[in-house]
Amino acid sequence: MIKIENLSKTFSGKSVLDNINLEIKEGEILVVLGQSGTGKSVLLKHLIGLLKPDQGAIHINAKDITCLSEKELLKIRSNIGYLFQEGALYDFMNVAENIAFPLHEHTQFSKKIIAQKVTEILEIVDLKGIEKVYPSELSGGMRKRVALARAIILDSKILFCDEPTSGLDPIRSRDISDLIHDASRKLNCTTVITSHDIRNSFRIADRVVLMHGGKITAQGTESELRKSQDPFVKDFLMN
Amino acid sequence: MITNLGRALCFLGDIMRHIVCGRIRLGEVLKQMYAQGLQSVIIIMMTSLASGLVLALQGYVAMARFGAKEYISHLVALSLVRELGPVFTALIFSGKAGARITAELGTMNVNDQLLATRTMGVDPIEFLVVPRILACFLVLPILTVISEMVGIAGGYMVGVGEAHIPGPFYINQTIKAIQYVDFFSGFIKSFFFSILIGWVCCYQGFTTKGGSLGVGKFTTKAVAYSYIFIIVSNTILTKIILTFWG
Repeated sequence: MIKIENLSKTFSGKSVLDNINLEIKEGEILVVLGQSGTGKSVLLKHLIGLLKPDQGAIHINAKDITCLSEKELLKIRSNIGYLFQEGALYDFMNVAENIAFPLHEHTQFSKKIIAQKVTEILEIVDLKGIEKVYPSELSGGMRKRVALARAIILDSKILFCDEPTSGLDPIRSRDISDLIHDASRKLNCTTVITSHDIRNSFRIADRVVLMHGGKITAQGTESELRKSQDPFVKDFLMN
Repeated sequence: MITNLGRALCFLGDIMRHIVCGRIRLGEVLKQMYAQGLQSVIIIMMTSLASGLVLALQGYVAMARFGAKEYISHLVALSLVRELGPVFTALIFSGKAGARITAELGTMNVNDQLLATRTMGVDPIEFLVVPRILACFLVLPILTVISEMVGIAGGYMVGVGEAHIPGPFYINQTIKAIQYVDFFSGFIKSFFFSILIGWVCCYQGFTTKGGSLGVGKFTTKAVAYSYIFIIVSNTILTKIILTFWG
């Protein structure tokens, strides 16, 4: 479903992604783990076409998105959900308007059906009855859940989540991880999550990729990674 | 500097392409018109009234020396309609509505909301910039006309109250003084200024970086650039209009 080939990116002479090769199967939940500044978010931004690589290709449904124009990318992105680290909800819209935005843009549903869908998805993310509340009045965890609702409202088959648990307490981190997991399974979404939250990553991931210095150091299931003899992998998982 | 100017011109080209070929969100345009117009109208009226009063007071002193105080109305009307009205209104508009545009877009930029728009398959220029520019284009000329009328009313107060010119005579002289060419030479400028303000302020908002400090910095920059561009372009426009139109 998603295939990354020889992907490299340099910023001001510093290599951020160094010859990344990765294949993500349909319906798989993949977590990209790593320390801050190892290129996880940059990788995610390449996957949705917000950044162009210096070299390499990214195939989504057999289409190389690195060669597409912004106009073509906009069309592809309308079928992908993207959850930003801080939610990136529109300040000038209330919760219902934020969630309904992709529906207004990409579907022909009536206002009544859209309102119904918004209510349903708010129930799924356990935020019933906050339709009229503005993002500035929400806590960090609530904002992330609203942002997740907005990311999955179109029933997209691909979901990218950038550090969904950062800045949250352990309970909220677990809740949002479970929500992402459940939503991905329900929609049969191919999901890529970047994180440095080891415990929750192993709980929800089918496969974990560990990045270090712009490269993939190790990948596999929890037990496979725990058996690794690589000093960085051992050190990272220990801490 | 040259790179930045090139990028800003490309940005303007993108906006124009969207206005001509893209989708216009009328609802958003109306929302922006309401916000920009309502925010600026009171301060513009206050400034215009003060300008009209001062013009008439100073005009009265000068004209009285030549025994021509009846011509205060000409002085006030022509100064406001041809020059001061459009320029003052544009300067105040850029300080209020322009700063608001940059601060809004800048905050959205540093909070990833512009990126989020792109990830949802929507072009942020079409969704956020075009409505703001179109609102500027439609609101500023209206504000200019309001400003001119209020300024003339200020002149009327001094003319009638201080210089003891009969009210109907003052109004009659004002109507006689303003010809089509006087009105439209100023009115055209306001359309030009509106595009300039919209372009500069949206571009600064779109390129904002550096968190909340960056928002402040880029907003100040947007207002400063708008002021400079308005004053410089006004000189050029005045010369062109006087050369071709008189």
